[in-house]
Amino acid sequence: MRDVQELVQGPGGPRRGDARRPDMRVTRHGDLRLTRWADLRLTLRIVALTFRAQAEYRAEFLLKVAFGVAWQVSIIVFAAVLLGRFPGMGGWPSDAVLLIAAMRMLSHGLFELFCGRATELSTIVQAGKIDAYLLRPLPVYRQVQLSIFPSNALGDLLVGVSMFTSAVVALDTAWTPLRVAYVGAAVAGGALMEGAIFTLLSALQLRLPAGLSWSRWVEELLSTFGNYPLKILPGVVNGAFTFILPLAFVAYFPAATLTGNTSGLGVPAALAAAAPLAGLAGFVGSRLLWNFALRHYTGVNG
Amino acid sequence: MTARESEFAIEARGLVKTFRTARRRPGALGMLRALVAPERVSTTAVADVSFSVGHGQLLALLGPNGAGKSTTIKMLTGILTPSAGRASVMGIVPYRERVRNARNIGAVFGQRTQLWWDLPARESFRILRDIYGVADGDYRSRMREFDDLLELSSFWDTRVRHLSLGQRVRCDLAAALLHDPPVVFLDEPTIGMDVVVKEQVRLLLRDQVERRGQTVLLTTHDMTEVERLAERVVLINHGHIVLDGTLAEIRTRFGSGWRVNATLVQTEPATGRCPPGLRVVRQDGARVIFEPDGTDGVAPPQALKRVIDRYEVTDIHIQESDLEDVMRAAYLDDRADRELDGELDGETVA
Repeated sequence: MRDVQELVQGPGGPRRGDARRPDMRVTRHGDLRLTRWADLRLTLRIVALTFRAQAEYRAEFLLKVAFGVAWQVSIIVFAAVLLGRFPGMGGWPSDAVLLIAAMRMLSHGLFELFCGRATELSTIVQAGKIDAYLLRPLPVYRQVQLSIFPSNALGDLLVGVSMFTSAVVALDTAWTPLRVAYVGAAVAGGALMEGAIFTLLSALQLRLPAGLSWSRWVEELLSTFGNYPLKILPGVVNGAFTFILPLAFVAYFPAATLTGNTSGLGVPAALAAAAPLAGLAGFVGSRLLWNFALRHYTGVNG
Repeated sequence: MTARESEFAIEARGLVKTFRTARRRPGALGMLRALVAPERVSTTAVADVSFSVGHGQLLALLGPNGAGKSTTIKMLTGILTPSAGRASVMGIVPYRERVRNARNIGAVFGQRTQLWWDLPARESFRILRDIYGVADGDYRSRMREFDDLLELSSFWDTRVRHLSLGQRVRCDLAAALLHDPPVVFLDEPTIGMDVVVKEQVRLLLRDQVERRGQTVLLTTHDMTEVERLAERVVLINHGHIVLDGTLAEIRTRFGSGWRVNATLVQTEPATGRCPPGLRVVRQDGARVIFEPDGTDGVAPPQALKRVIDRYEVTDIHIQESDLEDVMRAAYLDDRADRELDGELDGETVA
């Protein structure tokens, strides 16, 4: 009888691990894994390759970038018209309202770039790609995000950065290091909060294709109401956008903290100021729930 | 338990997978009823499946469409979590330690690709090389090997979305074997391939098992593939294992074992003058097929002699039972058993 180890390793010569790469480490189980640095390099390489794949279809690529720009510009135009007609929106000066819109757009661009594939997860599920992702020794959520390069996010980011720069310049405030750090954290927190919302909805899409319609509806809500002081809305709606769909934490609360417009937020000022942390907590929670949903994944076609 | 301690490369013990769905009734009233008070049904795709595969074995998991083959493979690869039972692959429970298990296995689902759709196949291979940490030298020699057997280099710089099904599945096979996994799962790997490519794939699989000692679990509807590759067959139907054994054992149990194919000089009906111990299965003009009638346990050489003694023949040979017939007999036997037990429905209303 052949020795089991020989059968596992095969008689054909050296197998896995015999010629160990310098970017591999041994886990506590004795398995070989990529080092964290090699893991990051691999992720960036996949991003670069999928970007190249998209860019090779030049017309389609440019059309997607232009779509991102057009989408965001249409929101800006609508916001500009509103601000022109109602300059004192909820008691907020125009430069403060502009900051809300700018922070939300930049956060949205970052969300699209890093987590945007969560929005349309059910198309990935229906194509049976989750099955393939489960076969690879990489986190499934990361593979979902790396499945395609989000060309439209470039358009979103282009508009977001431009608008954010204009808003920061226009805002009449002293940009101390603390404020600069806070606005950075707030933009990241906003992206994480948007990521949390759509990751949660994509967990639903892992089981129910109808979750896609909900994701699209929520996307509409975010772009419609996310750019203005929510205190202009009736109390119930304001509450819903704070505690049910936490849109207020994306840009409204951080902008209120930065501009000092903390009256009538519906929550204590300290909680509003903690919006970046809420974004982080929300994202971690949504990822845990996503992993739970993945463990109960039932696949397509049985 | 580590792979070294595990006696088997693959073990399934009492695996069950049940899917819960809402039963939809026809018509508008049925739709309303489904909305207000949905009737939940449990569909058992896999029911109490147990088998094991030794290191370096090639096992064919066979069964008709919807028998539970793919669901079983999905549980063994960590895609699905069983409703009950236990699975282990190289000593690892696949659905509990998905990432560790993924490093030990390669898998091809013929209907779906695991390659990056928008990238050339070769880029996918390079990414997989880095994901699995395959050393450059090993990668180059493996790719040379695959190219020799599967002729990949003529199309591996083409984007996966532009490949034909046969080319794509060949690339999928190379991708699944690139990191030299000890266990390989293949779910209809030769689907959509022409006969030449099928033969290339069979050669590759034989090579993997015989030279590299890989354990292979294969599902296919191609009986030629089973005859060429499989040492052992597990037959599954309605989520149950119908039989588990070597091809020879299955032929003995469900086939007549052998038949005599003879071409007679005369074209008169052979039924009336049938040699003792044999009966006519089919006659098409001068061509007659005989099989043992079970009365005297006649052996193939005696049967040949009896036919030659009885008729004037121009051609005669022994043919082993067609594997498809044997499988059909096994399914029918299982179906008859289930009909007797009243188990055929497969759905239980919750």
